[in-house]
Amino acid sequence: MAPISIRGLTKRYGHIVAVNDLSLEVAPGEILGFLGLNGAGKTTTIRILLDLLRPSGGSAAILGHDCQSDGLRARVNVGYLPGEMGIYSDMTGREVLDLLAKLNDQLVDDKRRRELQERLEFPDSDLRRRLREYSTGMKRKLGIIQAFQSDPLLLILDEPTEGLDPLMQESFYQLLVDVKSRGRTVFMSSHVLSEVERVCDRIALVRKGELVLLAGIEETRNLAARQVRILFAEELTSISEIPTPVLPPGTDILDSGPRWWNLKVEGPLGPLLRAIAALPVQDLEITEAKLEDVVLKYYREGGSGRKRPTP
Amino acid sequence: MRRAALLFAYSLKRVRALALVTGLLLAALQMVLIFVAGSIQKSGGFDQLSALLPPFARALLGPSVATFMSFSGIVCLGYFELAVMGALIAMAITLGTTPASEIESGFMDLILARPLPRHWIITRTAVLTLFVTGALLALMVAGTGAGLRLFAPKNVPWPSPKLIASLAINLGMLALCWGGLASAIGARSSRRSVAGGTAGLLAFAAFLMDYVGRLWQPAESIAWLSPFRYYNPFDLIMGNPLPLQDLVVLGAISAAGFGAAYFLFARRDIAR
Repeated sequence: MAPISIRGLTKRYGHIVAVNDLSLEVAPGEILGFLGLNGAGKTTTIRILLDLLRPSGGSAAILGHDCQSDGLRARVNVGYLPGEMGIYSDMTGREVLDLLAKLNDQLVDDKRRRELQERLEFPDSDLRRRLREYSTGMKRKLGIIQAFQSDPLLLILDEPTEGLDPLMQESFYQLLVDVKSRGRTVFMSSHVLSEVERVCDRIALVRKGELVLLAGIEETRNLAARQVRILFAEELTSISEIPTPVLPPGTDILDSGPRWWNLKVEGPLGPLLRAIAALPVQDLEITEAKLEDVVLKYYREGGSGRKRPTP
Repeated sequence: MRRAALLFAYSLKRVRALALVTGLLLAALQMVLIFVAGSIQKSGGFDQLSALLPPFARALLGPSVATFMSFSGIVCLGYFELAVMGALIAMAITLGTTPASEIESGFMDLILARPLPRHWIITRTAVLTLFVTGALLALMVAGTGAGLRLFAPKNVPWPSPKLIASLAINLGMLALCWGGLASAIGARSSRRSVAGGTAGLLAFAAFLMDYVGRLWQPAESIAWLSPFRYYNPFDLIMGNPLPLQDLVVLGAISAAGFGAAYFLFARRDIAR
């Protein structure tokens, strides 16, 4: 059963379409990065999943329960970290955690909470302080602890590392690896491509409310052209008996010298290697495409073709 | 149910300081009024005050003026004095607009992301409004009782417990009525200031409508629309029984307000 299943989801505010016919499934045990520029519809989608917003069309389900008609059961096993923690400043951190744990009606293992505190370097003394004394990063840590403390099957995280320092971001990534290893599913929105590239199995990219890309990280990277530098053992001009190779489609020469070529290669490298097999190749340097090259292209150009590989 | 009780306890904890301070101030006001009434009584000032009233005021207030210009009347003033009514109604509006405040702060996101039905939010709000309003009135009645024991001159008749209870119940129903209306407004709003301000303005307009209706005959035709029309403390002081019809009207408005809040809150988008 898919932890998250979204079909034809649409949300309109008058004439403004915040989410348009969005369909995607999150597989059990995967970490899916939900990407998009501000106003792309990420938070709207998350809020529909939690039944905070009502869709104009389509449906969304969590662990097989419709988020609207069966919302209570849908939310039983969900940990949610909002983009902004709306908590009252006169409460202590411990009061917040206790209240939210009890409202969840799930037992919170003290050991689990303590482990989270240790990972995020959030001592008891900080939990005793009132939230008005908290920094942005501390509030974020508290938010992470409240989302993870009941060890839910599904974690929905809205910009989880916003406000965390690099060390805490590292701890958070380790936490994600840990929950994933225990079969938990994570659906997280993010702006930080490096973190998505590092921790996510797949990305779903939305632009103006529409899903424009849904693919694995590696597969997404492969959508961008790699740079290949070929070094030859001798100057090609001195070898008259070798015919000039016909480069395969998707390969362009960016630059060249007597003993080297710089190529841009889209797709697999096999055809290129076959094409240059007769040349005196001394070395090949392949520069992998970056995820951001693809993502930024989609942001800017609004790439259309949807990639829907199996999870 | 346990979680609903938890939500109520949490909300009560948040308003306890405000409610306690308001309740103690209202109780203190009752005692001050009794002290003042006792002083006037001892100096024989009620007769002089009555004589000072201009004829038009006598005509306006009718036969109740004699009852009001007495120790007992001044003691009862604490249950229809403008500041007291305003404080109770303001508290009820504040409590009724709790959901709007929680949406505004973002706390509602955290609550409703849990498996909690939305109607619990309104049930919590209604019970909280009822509980705190009841507690405030209880403190006022306690203040009246303490004041009478401490400051009432000897041989002066006290207002009957039944009269005090009638005034408190009628005033409480009036406050609950505004709590219900505020809840309905708050259930559609994402800003407490907007919801509270709207409910407050509505209450002020309704108060003026009733006030003008009492002074100016033509306005009487629309004054029945004002909830304040259904709180007539002078009638109670005159010895008339607590009118059940007025309580039913105020209760019905309150119930309709909370009912509308259930309906509106269940269907709305929770967004700041």
